[in-house]
Amino acid sequence: MRAASSVPKLSRQWPPSTLTRAWVTLLALSLASTLLTTLPAPPAFVGSSILILALIKARVILARYLDLADSPTWLRGFTFVMIAFGCLILALFLI
Amino acid sequence: MSDTSLIDELPGELLMWVLIISELLVFGAGLIAFMGVRLTDPSGFAEAQSHLYRTGAAFNTAVLVTSGFLAAQALHWHRAARRSAARLALIGSALLGVVFLIIKGVEYAGKAAQGITFETHPFFMFYYLLTGFHAAHVLAGVGILLFVAWRDDARNIEAGAQFWHMVDLVWIMLFPVIYLLG
Repeated sequence: MRAASSVPKLSRQWPPSTLTRAWVTLLALSLASTLLTTLPAPPAFVGSSILILALIKARVILARYLDLADSPTWLRGFTFVMIAFGCLILALFLI
Repeated sequence: MSDTSLIDELPGELLMWVLIISELLVFGAGLIAFMGVRLTDPSGFAEAQSHLYRTGAAFNTAVLVTSGFLAAQALHWHRAARRSAARLALIGSALLGVVFLIIKGVEYAGKAAQGITFETHPFFMFYYLLTGFHAAHVLAGVGILLFVAWRDDARNIEAGAQFWHMVDLVWIMLFPVIYLLG
């Protein structure tokens, strides 16, 4: 793994604006998830939308908070597993 | 030929990633089991879910992602030699963890006042197990954040922040499944 104690590479030093954008995105998506449940829409649509928003939030945390944006292979792997998990949850919800 | 492996690409300590993956698998299995048992009584699960304090849980999501932001910011500031700002951010992050636990406590107290326990319905068994186990991680995370604010070298802060982001990530998946998918 990359040594945390060594002099950090520039690419690993997220500018605050990037981190702030991630935070605002997470807040907005969380609000959207909650508001979705108040819509008079079919449960399948609401459930699918909520899970998609949750997966986007998870990816933002993995990429920006957990710093995997600089490790694209790992980010892709985590994203794939999270999407598979979301699909399984959605299938169980829709049955 | 490259002298780095895929493992070397991971930020921070390998053992922290082993912990993160293990925790995600445990909570993921719990949520899949929850959705599986829901199939046996979807209307009962929907009725039970209507007793949850959804607004409080949504607010707690905002609290936790803000806390995660401060923890990530602390690492950035520490690397930029802004030590005091980094420590304050870690303490702020821990305090938001305490806010999360207070709101969770109010939610549990409300359930107790309604006479809702583990045995009321299978929904509540999963609810208490998954959210309670998560709350225990939040409690541990608060202690870890305060510890790394005290012993504030970059490796400690990165490991503490990673633990906290794992707690955040688990809640991001737990919140919609337990509170929103009715």
